[in-house]
Amino acid sequence: MLQVNDLNKVYEGKVAYRALTDINMEVGKGEFVGIMGPSGSGKTTLLNLVATIDQPTSGEILIEGKDPHQLSKNKLAKFRRQQLGFVFQDFNLLHTLTVEENIVLPLTLDGKKVKEMKEKANVIAEKLGISHIMKKRTFEISGGQAQRVAVARAMIHQPKLLLADEPTGNLDSKSSRDVMEMLENINETEETTMLLVTHDAQAASYCDRVIFIRDGQLYSEIHRGESQKGFFQKIIDTLSLLGGNDNDFSSIRS
Amino acid sequence: MTFRQFALNNVLRNKRLYVAYFLSSMFAVMVFFTFSIFAFHPAFQTGDMPSSAMKGMLVSGGIIYVFSFFFVLYSMSSFLQSRKKEFGLLMLLGMSSRQIRRMTFLENMLIGFLATISGIGIGLVFAKVILLIAEKVLVIDETLNFYFPLEAIGLSFISFILLFFVISIFVTFILRTNKLVDLIKSDKKSKGEPKASIILTIIAVLLLAAGYGTALYVEGIQVVMALIPVVIVVTIGTYLFFTQLSVYLIRRLKKNEHIFWKKTNMLLFSDLSFRMKDNARTFFLVAIISTVAFSAIGTLFGFHSYLMKGLKDANPYSVVYESVEDEDVQKQISAIDQIIADENVTANKEVVEMNYFEIGIDYPVLIVKESDYNRFAKLLNEKEIKLKNKAVVVSDNQANIGNFQNEQKLMEIGIPLKSGEKVQAYSEVSTSVLQEMNAYYIVRDEVFKQLPSAVKQTTFAAWMTKQADEEQLVAIGEKVFDHFDEYHNAFSMDYTIYEIDKAYGPILFIGLFIGIVFFVSAGSFLYFRLYSDLDDDKEKFQAIAKLGLTNNELKKVINRQTAILFFAPIIVALIHGAVALTALMHLFDYNLVKESAMVLGGFALIQIAYFFIVRYFYTKQIQQAIK
Repeated sequence: MLQVNDLNKVYEGKVAYRALTDINMEVGKGEFVGIMGPSGSGKTTLLNLVATIDQPTSGEILIEGKDPHQLSKNKLAKFRRQQLGFVFQDFNLLHTLTVEENIVLPLTLDGKKVKEMKEKANVIAEKLGISHIMKKRTFEISGGQAQRVAVARAMIHQPKLLLADEPTGNLDSKSSRDVMEMLENINETEETTMLLVTHDAQAASYCDRVIFIRDGQLYSEIHRGESQKGFFQKIIDTLSLLGGNDNDFSSIRS
Repeated sequence: MTFRQFALNNVLRNKRLYVAYFLSSMFAVMVFFTFSIFAFHPAFQTGDMPSSAMKGMLVSGGIIYVFSFFFVLYSMSSFLQSRKKEFGLLMLLGMSSRQIRRMTFLENMLIGFLATISGIGIGLVFAKVILLIAEKVLVIDETLNFYFPLEAIGLSFISFILLFFVISIFVTFILRTNKLVDLIKSDKKSKGEPKASIILTIIAVLLLAAGYGTALYVEGIQVVMALIPVVIVVTIGTYLFFTQLSVYLIRRLKKNEHIFWKKTNMLLFSDLSFRMKDNARTFFLVAIISTVAFSAIGTLFGFHSYLMKGLKDANPYSVVYESVEDEDVQKQISAIDQIIADENVTANKEVVEMNYFEIGIDYPVLIVKESDYNRFAKLLNEKEIKLKNKAVVVSDNQANIGNFQNEQKLMEIGIPLKSGEKVQAYSEVSTSVLQEMNAYYIVRDEVFKQLPSAVKQTTFAAWMTKQADEEQLVAIGEKVFDHFDEYHNAFSMDYTIYEIDKAYGPILFIGLFIGIVFFVSAGSFLYFRLYSDLDDDKEKFQAIAKLGLTNNELKKVINRQTAILFFAPIIVALIHGAVALTALMHLFDYNLVKESAMVLGGFALIQIAYFFIVRYFYTKQIQQAIK
């Protein structure tokens, strides 16, 4: 599904900064993969490259065998809109639109029929338990609800790949759990491939597999066994091996 | 870092934030300064200028100053609005509200000082251009040389330092210290979507309809009486139009999901509806200011052309002479011949005896031979008359003031001959070949011989110059004017028009100047409005760009957004202006369509150019932000 080959990213500037070095990885269809690492390790850079928001310096990224970075700017925008779904730490909802309007925005830009959009929005809202707030405005809902709306927006066009950048970063522990359970659920029922960047070991423990990055290079990867509890413990252990400050990885955020 | 250094650095290191406010202040100074360069020009100080023109300039200077005051105040308050969060942060760090006031005061004085200096500087650079334009528009004998305008510099500097001082004090008072939490969250909190009241919406429609209806319906002197009520009604109507009707329409559009949910419409309309509260006030201001500019310039321009056209048509000859009693006709005519010859101009001349007869109405009526009439017609290249019957009635088609020419009476009465018979006119003709105020007859030459003796006789002579330029014609006119200083019974139209232009020029210039100032400031209001939303827009488009927004879609949204901002108020102003000028047409009973179209079209073109420039830069800024 997703293949990353010899990926390098160098930020040019007065002092060039090497953010990623020779990253190789592969994500299978329907897999739920977490990316973890200390601050500044390059995990968000990696996600942005996969998301086609940023351009790699060298190497290639193949989504279903095709390299989206070869597309023209306009086609790339359409590609993102139709093939990818995004969830951000700060939700990225438009505050001038209602919840419902935010959810259908990707379809609207594609010029879909109103009836179709309504149906899809209702189905996904039902699934994510946000039907009752559809007419509300974004500042009238809580953070957990806002992130669910963002997930609904990311999922409405049934993307092949869902990319989440610290989706629980702005949420309390209860909301975090809700959102992660929801993502896990979607991953299972819809078989959507997911890539999750997070600091939060609790959130990462919902993944099938977690890849660790350190100083822009792959460090290790661990697979989830039968129990989520055991997986969580394994993640914590790896993180402590990885170094960095303990408070980088507080499992419960306030 | 002392407190003063803090305020100073705030401004100097934050140039981008302050630049819009600074530029608008500078613009205000520049306008005032250029105007005073003109007003203080030595050429006008010699006392040659009519006192009414001087007074007009004084008043205009005052208007510009008062306008600048509000202009700067407006820019300043919208600038402070955008800094609420910053004030919140400073208060959070423990700054007292007195200190914040002091800070804004210091900042303002600094910006005001810099704006005054640079406004005067740029004004100096453009001074020569302004003087050249003034020279062209104004008909003045002296050339307006460039001079170093010490007085203008002094006046502008003192006036604007004073203005900024007053505004700085003023603003520190209106800068209410809101609750800290409101200030901190000011950028997060939504202002809320404005709502429209149905009743006010209907009232808006009614007011505009009533205002327009009245303005278009009234005629003649009624226009003057209807002026004030119509202006008030339309102004209120315009305000409600933008604050209520437009909000109502946008909300209706948003409710219709087939329109609102169609492609980029959602992005466009949702923002539009939220910004309408802020936009409405700007739109209203811009619409009214532009209407004033359009109407003022249209009126001046139209009135000028009305005056000129009437004169030129009524007096097609280069020079005309009409004898008065006891005058040596031959001597006077050859005097004019001599004046024309002195200027090295050749001219065709016709002379005729004008005979007036008693025909039984209250004044003697002119009767002209067909052949005499045709000689003059030929001189003017007008159509000659071939009488089908014995006589026609003629009325002067230009001197048509009121209806006291009595063509009708002349048609009925007929011409009594020596024999006692009567000759009836068979038709009415309208020309301005002979300069006769009242209606008169043209008769066949053989009929003329049968007329009784005339009760009054004068001599009329007319000259048509060949290939003379404006300057020579004016020179001839001036000499003729001087020669006939007793009765002024000979004159040249070109000279008269020159004299009118000379008196009218300053009024036209001032009118144009103020009109353009108003119009340009209206444009900058829109510019500030647009740029105060720049950060919001950047954030919004960044968010959408991550989801995938093509460059074309982005351009489309920005294009429409900017177009609505730039054209909504101007279209309203153009319609207002067109209605006002139509009313003016009714007042003068004179066709101003061409002039109105030129003025309104000219402004529309400028606005379109302005739109393209601003859109280009705005799009560029957004594109850079989402890269």
